[in-house]
Amino acid sequence: MIRTVIGATLIVALFSFTAQAAMHWSPAPMKHGHGGHDRHAGKPFVLTEGAGAAVTLLTPKLVAKPMSVEQARVVVTSTGMDNYHALVATRSSGDLHESAIRYVYMFGKPSGESPSDIMAYEKSALEIEPSPYAREHWRYLSDTEVVFKVRYKGQSLPLAIVTMTTSNGGSAEFKADEQGVVRFTLPEDFSDIKPGRMANRPGEFILSARYEEGGGTHLTSFSSAYHVNPNHWQSTGLGVAVVAAGMLIGGLVFVCKRRKEKS
Amino acid sequence: MPFWKNLSVIRKLVQLLAFVFLVYGSVFIGFYSADKLSGAFPALACAYDAQTADYCVLIPLQHQFGHLLGPAINAGAFGMSVIMPILTTLATFLILFVLLNKAFCGWLCPLGFFQEVLGMIGQKLRLNRTDSLDSKLVDRIRPAKWLMLGLLVVLFPLASGMGFAGHELGDPFCKICPSRILTSLAAGQLNQLYIDTSSTGYMILSIIADTFFGLILVLSLTMRQPFCRICPMLALHAMFRKVGLVRLVKNYTPRCDKCGLCAKACPMDIREIHTSKEKDILFPDCTLCGRCVEFCPDKDVMTMKYAVIPIIVSDPQYFKERNRAQKAWEGKQKPSRRAKKA
Repeated sequence: MIRTVIGATLIVALFSFTAQAAMHWSPAPMKHGHGGHDRHAGKPFVLTEGAGAAVTLLTPKLVAKPMSVEQARVVVTSTGMDNYHALVATRSSGDLHESAIRYVYMFGKPSGESPSDIMAYEKSALEIEPSPYAREHWRYLSDTEVVFKVRYKGQSLPLAIVTMTTSNGGSAEFKADEQGVVRFTLPEDFSDIKPGRMANRPGEFILSARYEEGGGTHLTSFSSAYHVNPNHWQSTGLGVAVVAAGMLIGGLVFVCKRRKEKS
Repeated sequence: MPFWKNLSVIRKLVQLLAFVFLVYGSVFIGFYSADKLSGAFPALACAYDAQTADYCVLIPLQHQFGHLLGPAINAGAFGMSVIMPILTTLATFLILFVLLNKAFCGWLCPLGFFQEVLGMIGQKLRLNRTDSLDSKLVDRIRPAKWLMLGLLVVLFPLASGMGFAGHELGDPFCKICPSRILTSLAAGQLNQLYIDTSSTGYMILSIIADTFFGLILVLSLTMRQPFCRICPMLALHAMFRKVGLVRLVKNYTPRCDKCGLCAKACPMDIREIHTSKEKDILFPDCTLCGRCVEFCPDKDVMTMKYAVIPIIVSDPQYFKERNRAQKAWEGKQKPSRRAKKA
């Protein structure tokens, strides 16, 4: 019963959130709360507002593999290659060209390629490039600054408008600088925060940008998970105090040793 | 003595370069390459530092014991997906380790360098430094590194993976590692200096980490290499020290019995290098810093070799110049215990 309620809540939350945004990727709701530690298991994603889109998986070696979409859902399985892959959905209808991009880390043999290549690779005419993407041991956190670059046909797009929506109900609009770089702080919009990283589910944020040129309209989205900032249960002030206490203990050890030596 | 002839000065320069590379290296090699160079670096290079250029081997080892081996033991299924990552980590570690042996500690470890720099500051502040610890104390401290390796790198992560212990003990060494705090602070991050109140386990581990860090800050001013003595990396290196190409060789002479300057120069207080009559004097606690060779006054008695090629050989002339340089560096401070005994 509880599982059904949680599942229904998740689906309602997911679709009420996605209804506000352009075509974008989000993780498919999992049957179990914890993803487990099978690093080679497939990762399911849902493409929202993406009917008719062509989906490809770009490997770290920049090889595009077509993906089959079933009921707006794709499962990214191991390509045998370690490192970031890009899940790319594209759709063109008349003058409207849309894309949705999400980076997925897959385990396998070392690819020997830098993720910088896949981030910089032109996956669609209009694109929001993470600059940089949060790598291993790092993650997007609420209340921390993030940086993205908006590109059009591989060139920076100055003064582009980027819209952000989050699964926690947050939304905001940002303007890129002359170099197409947009900086902002991810919102602190999690409710019911519990102490501990494992106790809180991550949220999703979607960035979308729009650009019109020569009668054509380009729309793109970038999506990723973001997590509760651990500052809620980690205190730097207390940390500094304990380091000071450690220094005091060290000082006492030194003084005792010196007295012992003198005596 | 010109600095380019002084092995200790050369070593400090190498340590400084290694520190810059390991703490800020992603600035040079690219942000994403930072965790891709080896993932099994045989020194304390921390993945929690956002700008690091490489990973300490203790990180993947703990994760693989906790996330792969533990659940595999529970399930009774040992596939290649369990064995290969662990073997790959150990193989990568060994390839690097063969190249430099335990010199990773004495020449490249950022935390080792930091402690030495603090020691130099302690000398300049004219603190009453104790160059050699009491031999009984040294003997009591020595098993600690094996306990750190056995418990914090192997057993606790394994117990966590098998469900006998909480997630707190999934990577307990990283939780208490002072290099995590040091390198992240050096990279301008405060996010690793904290007390975690999310659970009792996390709180205890974070208190231990911060206390360790505070202790090291002060103890390094007055004694040599306090953390190195209990570092699990030292124990891991000790296990494989016979396969490394860098060797420390002694040609025992009866004069060695009366001298002992090598043992007094040793920052790890390995008195056995003085008493040993064996050729191979690469002891488990050695960091291959080479000070014993520098401070050996007899010709060809001690040698640091790379495979069969001598890197530095003890020499009376070098000893005299090195001793003079050391005294010039120490200045007019109170004579150290070493000097008194000498």
